[in-house]
Amino acid sequence: MIAYILRRLAQFIPVLLLASLGIWAMIYAVPGSPIGALVGENATPEQIAAITIRLGLDQPILVQYWRWLLAALHGDLGHSIQSREPVLDLIATRIPATLQLGLAATLVGLLVGIPVAVASALKPNSLLDRALSGWSALALGVPTFWLGILLILLFAVHLHWLPSASAYFPLISDPIPALTNLALPALTLGLYISGIFSRFLRAALLGELHADYVRTARSKGLRERDVIGRHVMRNAMLPFVTIVGLSLANFIGGTVITEAVFTYPGLGRLLIQAIGVRDYPLIQGCILFILAIYITINLLVDVLYAYIDPRIDYH
Amino acid sequence: MAVPVVSVRGLEVTFVGAGRPLTAVRGISFDVAAGEVLGIVGESGSGKSVTSLALTGLLGPNARVRGQISLAGIDVIAADAETLRLMRGRDVGMVFQDPATTLNPVFPVGRQITEGQIAHGTLRPERAPARAAALLREVDVPDPAARISQFPHQFSGGMRQRAVIAMAMAGHPRLIIADEPTTALDVTVQAQVLAVLARRQRETKAAVILITHDLGVIAEVADRVAVMYAGRIVETGPVAEIFRAPRHPYTAALLRSLPRIDADEARLSTIPGQPPHLGRLAGGCSFRPRCPLGQARDICASDPPEHDGVACHFPGEALATLPRPAPSKKPEAQTGSPLLEVADLRVEFPIRTGLLRRQSGTVRAVSGVSLSVWPGETLGLVGESGCGKTTTGRAIMGLIRPTSGSIRFAGQEIGGLPRGAMRRLRRDMQYVFQDPYSSLNPIRTAGEIVAEPLRIHGLHAEMGGDAYVAGLFDRVGLPRATMSRFPREFSGGQRQRIGIARALALQPKLLILDEPVAALDVSIQAQIVNLLKDLQRELGLAYIFIAHDLAVVHHIADRVAVMYLGRIVEESDKATLYARPLHPYTRSLLSAVPLPDPAARGGGRRIILEGDIPSPARPPSGCAFHPRCFRASPLCATDVPAFAAHATLPSLVACHHPMEAAP
Ligand SMILES: Nc1ncnc2c1ncn2[C@@H]1O[C@H](COP(=O)(O)OP(=O)(O)OP(=O)(O)O)[C@@H](O)[C@H]1O
Ligand code: SF4
Ligand code: SF4
Ligand SMILES: [Mg+2]
Repeated sequence: MIAYILRRLAQFIPVLLLASLGIWAMIYAVPGSPIGALVGENATPEQIAAITIRLGLDQPILVQYWRWLLAALHGDLGHSIQSREPVLDLIATRIPATLQLGLAATLVGLLVGIPVAVASALKPNSLLDRALSGWSALALGVPTFWLGILLILLFAVHLHWLPSASAYFPLISDPIPALTNLALPALTLGLYISGIFSRFLRAALLGELHADYVRTARSKGLRERDVIGRHVMRNAMLPFVTIVGLSLANFIGGTVITEAVFTYPGLGRLLIQAIGVRDYPLIQGCILFILAIYITINLLVDVLYAYIDPRIDYH
Repeated sequence: MAVPVVSVRGLEVTFVGAGRPLTAVRGISFDVAAGEVLGIVGESGSGKSVTSLALTGLLGPNARVRGQISLAGIDVIAADAETLRLMRGRDVGMVFQDPATTLNPVFPVGRQITEGQIAHGTLRPERAPARAAALLREVDVPDPAARISQFPHQFSGGMRQRAVIAMAMAGHPRLIIADEPTTALDVTVQAQVLAVLARRQRETKAAVILITHDLGVIAEVADRVAVMYAGRIVETGPVAEIFRAPRHPYTAALLRSLPRIDADEARLSTIPGQPPHLGRLAGGCSFRPRCPLGQARDICASDPPEHDGVACHFPGEALATLPRPAPSKKPEAQTGSPLLEVADLRVEFPIRTGLLRRQSGTVRAVSGVSLSVWPGETLGLVGESGCGKTTTGRAIMGLIRPTSGSIRFAGQEIGGLPRGAMRRLRRDMQYVFQDPYSSLNPIRTAGEIVAEPLRIHGLHAEMGGDAYVAGLFDRVGLPRATMSRFPREFSGGQRQRIGIARALALQPKLLILDEPVAALDVSIQAQIVNLLKDLQRELGLAYIFIAHDLAVVHHIADRVAVMYLGRIVEESDKATLYARPLHPYTRSLLSAVPLPDPAARGGGRRIILEGDIPSPARPPSGCAFHPRCFRASPLCATDVPAFAAHATLPSLVACHHPMEAAP
């Protein structure tokens, strides 16, 4: 098992290398330059040239990449062009925020999605099932930004219960402000994702319900809740953890819009800001981190998978 | 007679759903007493499984059940869900057909065996492992203490089924319902499992309902027989009488349509037509459309016969009307050059382990098989599952790349052919897959599936389009109306017929038939076997007929090759091989075949092989059969016997001490 995880981790390095090269190439393929945003409209050509040289942007692209790579291998992702702060520090302050939101939203998604799926699967095509399916369709159909704005209008503007713009507070040190600030964005994302979770899990459960081992379990005189809750659930979990992992990974990169709506200071907003001003090192760093989190979650999913399914042999 | 353990009166099961209601069981009655084995036999769709599910209250919410079922004193139809749950596992245990899927793959076997008892509160969880091990020991699973923590995929098929039997018997139920318990197993394993089931039944005095389509198994173990047809029991009686003097035309025809290793006939008698669609039963006797007696008799069309041991207006007339099958003719001598020549075929699969996926071993699925097939003949390839029959067939077909060896088809070496020529050749060689469930695309209609090879080769219009496809449906005994249905709407038997129709579509020269009739009912099996023989005669087709059913192979093959652990251990013409088997494995295999003749029961002819087939990754030294062989000598453990011609018989055999006398 340990060997398996190490082997998987070793596969990180080439992936990240390739990705960094890809991102670099992409940034340069798109026209525009960070200088304009940095110096303002009234800059003289001399000022621009000086800054270009200071940032090393006059060098050939490959040289720039090589320099960046050497520094990155020493743990230095460079400095933001805009704020002059180290990229690593900027990202480090945002990652907990994004992870916290991602996890909170996934939790909401699971808390809503799993019971909905189980209730649906217990009595397929019943009135309840159809009502719940309608609910899932609604959760998926309503655009996130719209739901976000609705929730802000209701809970922040009308009821004044929750803040309209969400700041980041670490859950461990400031639980109360963390929760009030997290509530609306987590609910917005969580409800959406619950639609995916419940639909997927319902289908997985129903698929399993027809399996022979279910009949066997019933023939032994097990209670129906044990048949579903143990036998069927464990098997349906196999495909489900993949979906949960993928969606969690998606959050890390995909919370961009929600973070923008709530002006939540996560990695997504950092990336948007960086793209806005073409802050190359910051863009590069953000995407690399998002990718790394993505791969890590995938690895976690695989490990969980191997734990659930005894047939998988990870030698 | 003592109070029966289960008593059924006028049981009727109707499924309601989106379409018209479908009555699958139409008023059946029977009793089973303690210590008695009732065999229920009938074709696919006759309502056997629905009956067993009704007995245990396991039918889905779309089933409407009427009549009376009294099981261990419980009124099953009136009982609430909790009573039924408590009844299951305590009063009735069930064994299902496919041990590969009846166990939950993600839980250890031991836990699954005792889980029912724990749910009933008759076993404390901390005592469960010991109990599971004890139960496994009772069904002859070796090393039970270590086995209980293993998962189903670590068990062989036969061991899994024994584990399921252990599970069914865990709560000492008074009734065991076994629905096709050995259908998915090999003959030698079937013999083991039936022996275990019979022994446990004697020890526990349980009543047993054994559901099967295999009349041989019924003859072997049942005390009484109930024959089902279209949701009714058409004949009941003691097993000996049913087999000796069947009174219902259906029973009689069923017995006649059975291929047997103790008889030799040119053609199997078939029952014309196919089992009726339950939604469209005419009035009168539902067997009438297929009954040779009922055609000209009005009463059969107007009045449904009452059941009084036999549900027929003219009981007892059946036997006389059936034609005796003609004995088969001597096969013609092989002429010309072989269509297919396989020489020293080897297929090895690497086993990769460790961090660097290094190859740590090799599975020798096929280790040096040579065979030839002449145009128009049938070579039967028999052996237990895992012995490499399927791999051999697939390698010949080009579905698996052989490790070494030569395959020549119509004089051409296949290995070196370019893609286009290979594709052309594919038309002449077709494959019928073993598994009727996974080999059909679930989202295509049956018609599309059968037409698929025609479309792939661009021959759909040329061959006659939909009319041709419809003709193929007639040929394999499927109603044309089913062309637009999806695979899941067919029974297992019907699905395999779709697969056969698909393989026949391109009118190939060689068919590799991998267990083609294993999933079919006796009457349909006879039709298909006859159909295959007709096609062979008309089109000069050659067959490689891969099967574990020695009776079917006996009927259809001209020559037979017996495989064990990747090697052919004996090959001969059919008559010689069956009459005078030389290899001890062939001998045990033949003895394990259940004969459809209750009189032959317990004649001491059976050799029950110990253990399972060893893993082809670690074949035993010397003769691979020596750990299970009853004639093994020290020489056998060290020296591989050569596959050589026998001194007096026209057989090839790989054994140091071949059998001499006829069995
Ligand atoms: N849940 C269900 N809903 C609707 N129809 C069903 C259902 N279960 C079975 N049937 C139908 O009831 C009929 C009898 O089926 P059953 O499974 O009892 O046959 P069987 O005798 O066990 O056949 P086999 O030998 O193939 O197992 C079939 O026509 C089948 O399609
Ligand atoms: S009742 Fe008539 S049709 Fe039915 S089985 Fe008897 S003879 Fe045949
Ligand atoms: S060679 Fe020996 S072990 Fe092998 S089959 Fe013959 S007698 Fe048995
Ligand atoms: Mg059945």
